[in-house]
Amino acid sequence: MSANKKVAIVPCSGIGKAFGTVSRVAAYQVVEDDRPEDTQLVPLALLVMGDEEHQEMLKEMPAITIDGCKLACATKMVQEAGGKVEKDFAVLEVFRRYRQFKPQGIAALNEDGEKLADALAKEIDEVVDEIVQKGAQDA
Amino acid sequence: MPELPQKKVGIIACSGEEMCEGTVSRLAALKVLEQLRPADTVTICLPLFLAGGQGDRAFAKFYPTIAVDGCEKRCAYRGTEKYSNRPAASIVVSEIMEKEGLEKPRGLRQLNEAGVQLTEVVAEKIAAQVDEILGKAWSRGKGEFKEAATVVEPVESKEATCSCGSGIPVQTIQVDGHQETLVALPLIFQNIYQVHKAPSEEAIGKILDMVKIYNSLDHTNEVDLNTALTKAYQEFCANQEEQSK
Repeated sequence: MSANKKVAIVPCSGIGKAFGTVSRVAAYQVVEDDRPEDTQLVPLALLVMGDEEHQEMLKEMPAITIDGCKLACATKMVQEAGGKVEKDFAVLEVFRRYRQFKPQGIAALNEDGEKLADALAKEIDEVVDEIVQKGAQDA
Repeated sequence: MPELPQKKVGIIACSGEEMCEGTVSRLAALKVLEQLRPADTVTICLPLFLAGGQGDRAFAKFYPTIAVDGCEKRCAYRGTEKYSNRPAASIVVSEIMEKEGLEKPRGLRQLNEAGVQLTEVVAEKIAAQVDEILGKAWSRGKGEFKEAATVVEPVESKEATCSCGSGIPVQTIQVDGHQETLVALPLIFQNIYQVHKAPSEEAIGKILDMVKIYNSLDHTNEVDLNTALTKAYQEFCANQEEQSK
């Protein structure tokens, strides 16, 4: 990976469960607040439609996927698009590590949900840093 | 023919995470699912048409759907049409915004006031479309509207009904040594059981007819399928009787 390449962050598009919302909120935190210079959000809907621009983008960028349920749509879609998943996060797995944060709400998360999203975002930040660091070394 | 699940309208939002209009599409859909028409609507995540199973891909055939898209790319509409069935209606947030002369929303995570207002307007449009669709009869066999209108009794519901991963129930049976996954078979069994109970010839005949409506079985021998369905329905009846003891 070259030093100026960004990391693709691909959250699930979950609409019916709080875990899907957690994945999206965590992704926004990484892309907008924590690591805006190093990351780029890639929407799943475009991958479903086989959007060429984003498929090409994913072939060049390392990707971090965040899945809200066991069906792992984000990970499957990135792989389908020919992208390389550097790390796949499953919100359920993250929740097992932070059982004190029980997410509720879909349109808007409760406080626990926000905390879980924050914890997840911080784990993603670490992976982004590792990828960026490795990219800089390889360049 | 017995009715399969109560008629509902499927709402599929693009959820486009990279644009505010995508957030509006998702929140407007949720408002309809949770508050405006909870008893009449159901949803599914768009990527499941690709990442899910047969049951998920049958979604838009079972439910007349409204695709709610953030922009003119119309991923929800095109994705639903490509992988499941043509949506009954299309709503595009950016088009409504222009038509109504509303301000462009800001804020992916937290919509600004303009975004909240736009969400309200879009949600009302979806709800109106739901009402219109429910006034028409939908053929789950053909995946299109019938001629006559039907009246649907509302059922109380408080939460958004998500079909992620469960979509339409499927059941796998052994047909002449190979596995055949049949969409809606559990529902068909339930409905036939309510009317016929025992696995009579008439009951099996009706099951076979309904299975053929919801599944493409061009390469399956009908005699073998009949035998397999008879066995599966006998097991279903035995389970039902066991549970009722």
